[in-house]
Amino acid sequence: MISRFQIAYKNLLRKKARTLLTLIGIMLSSWVLVSLLGFNRGYEHALNRDIDNMGYQLMVMAKGCPYEAATMMLQGGTGLRYIEQSMVDEIVKKPEVDKVTPILMQAFFDPDKGDGGGIAGYFGVEAATFPGMKPFFRFRQGGWFKDENAAEAVMGFEAAELEQREVGDMILVPEKNVKLKVVGILERTGTQDDGTIFVPLKRLQMISATDKITTIGIKVKKGADSTKLETALYLLPDVQVVSFTQVKQTIMKLIATARVMVLSIAIIALLIAMVGVINTILMSVLERLQEIGILKTMGAMPGDIFMLVWTETLILCSSGGIAGIALAFVFARLSDLLVRRVLPYAPGGELVAIDMKLALLTLAVIVAVGLLSGIYPAWKAGRVRPLESIRSE
Amino acid sequence: MKGMSCYRIVLATLLVFFVMAIPALAAVGCDLNDPDRDVARFFPDSSGYKTSYVSIDKRGGDTMLKRVEKRLGDRFHGIYETIDVPYTIYEIRKGTQKIGYIHGVNQKGAYGGIQVFVALDTTGRIRSFYIQKMTSQWAKKLRDPKFGRQFVGLTLTDFDSYDPASGKASGKLTEIRNPASEAEQDFRASLRALKKNLILMDEFVYSPEKGRP
Repeated sequence: MISRFQIAYKNLLRKKARTLLTLIGIMLSSWVLVSLLGFNRGYEHALNRDIDNMGYQLMVMAKGCPYEAATMMLQGGTGLRYIEQSMVDEIVKKPEVDKVTPILMQAFFDPDKGDGGGIAGYFGVEAATFPGMKPFFRFRQGGWFKDENAAEAVMGFEAAELEQREVGDMILVPEKNVKLKVVGILERTGTQDDGTIFVPLKRLQMISATDKITTIGIKVKKGADSTKLETALYLLPDVQVVSFTQVKQTIMKLIATARVMVLSIAIIALLIAMVGVINTILMSVLERLQEIGILKTMGAMPGDIFMLVWTETLILCSSGGIAGIALAFVFARLSDLLVRRVLPYAPGGELVAIDMKLALLTLAVIVAVGLLSGIYPAWKAGRVRPLESIRSE
Repeated sequence: MKGMSCYRIVLATLLVFFVMAIPALAAVGCDLNDPDRDVARFFPDSSGYKTSYVSIDKRGGDTMLKRVEKRLGDRFHGIYETIDVPYTIYEIRKGTQKIGYIHGVNQKGAYGGIQVFVALDTTGRIRSFYIQKMTSQWAKKLRDPKFGRQFVGLTLTDFDSYDPASGKASGKLTEIRNPASEAEQDFRASLRALKKNLILMDEFVYSPEKGRP
């Protein structure tokens, strides 16, 4: 005996072009919807990962405009404000603090990096404290420098790739013409560390002729009140505190408008697709009034007719939804690239994160909204009066 | 007070945007930093260019690698000179007519990567030689256009006799002068990169154009 699904399927095949166009509409809207939901989740995950990969939740630096950091990069260190290294000892005593690491950021101008020259950025870090902040670092070759004063360097993946360096090779600090031996090359992390050259703090201080630092990275103890610590840090003279929790919230706020806009577009696309579903099914019902009348004279109840028409909606929406989700999976990386081009700031890693759970959720939304859209045509079909419909042209 | 707090957060955010954006360094491929400007400089009569990406593993695999190494007279070594390195070839056009190519390779230098570009005419003759990047105290001398002009007019055939290991050559190459005797290693590295560049262009472009494998 032929099942309700088979009848509904055959009915849809009667008008192939119309069915196909409706399917494409549903497919596109579910593609957009699942990609946007994937982006909503993926972006936050990627941002969290980037911030976690900073290794510390708070950064203390000299008070002033952060554009000074840009000045440092553009002018090779001039104009940068430093802080005393003794501040590290003061901060480490705070009860909320787990670990502290001093950092000296320096930039040197290399006139032979491209036509107009370029900047080479160096991070002076302590071998004793910095690696503890970055436990996720893996070495492609070699390891950390052992001596805080060694003329050595550890290179991020991309920095080493650009400079074609391997462990044992030498690098030259531009401007200063100081030679350093490469002792470690990091695996790719997908973060800013990939392009960084790490040098023992004391050595970089010596190269830069300063005994100061630019930044202190602070890891807060688990469960400790980081807001309280932040307030306490502001009492230190001439410093500003950067909290990555606040930074994350601000970034999320900055992209919130964009997220609302794209989500609205997705909802509009979904509504348009659903209007298409109503149109297709309703047209199909109106074209089959006589058939429905005959079915009723043969004993079909209004509920049977309702379910038959609703099944058509179910088939349309679920097929379109599955196809759209499959497209979203296939083109996830392409969506990722497009999103990166549009956003002012995109963290590393996967921005459009689609998994089976999200795919099933989207499918459920598409099917549910589709079934809601199918209620009216199905109800109309169920109410058809047999004799009137059979007599009609 | 609330205003101050917002101000701080915005400042902090800007800083993090900045810090996260600092080291956007290039990948292992060798691209022109500013293709529009550089193409116009090497080919002032050009009207446009087309970029294509090739690699030894996709174009000929191990057989091609062995052939390139044999012609170079040196093996590919290190963790960056590998079979899957992507090479960018800029095909230069004047209207619908092809007038030449620009191609660059990365080369390990004494203190950093060297990026060696050549502009070639459609027969493989060097129109310009350009070191885009070099980390060395003597980089200025090797990047000087006077040094590059020594290579103008040379072809791959002129490099046949050049041995990258010993730095010995014959023919026209003996006339090439090292402008920085202190940087012999980088001078030799530049010549090796140039020879490799010309061989790769022959393998990727000129030989296929002539119907050779």
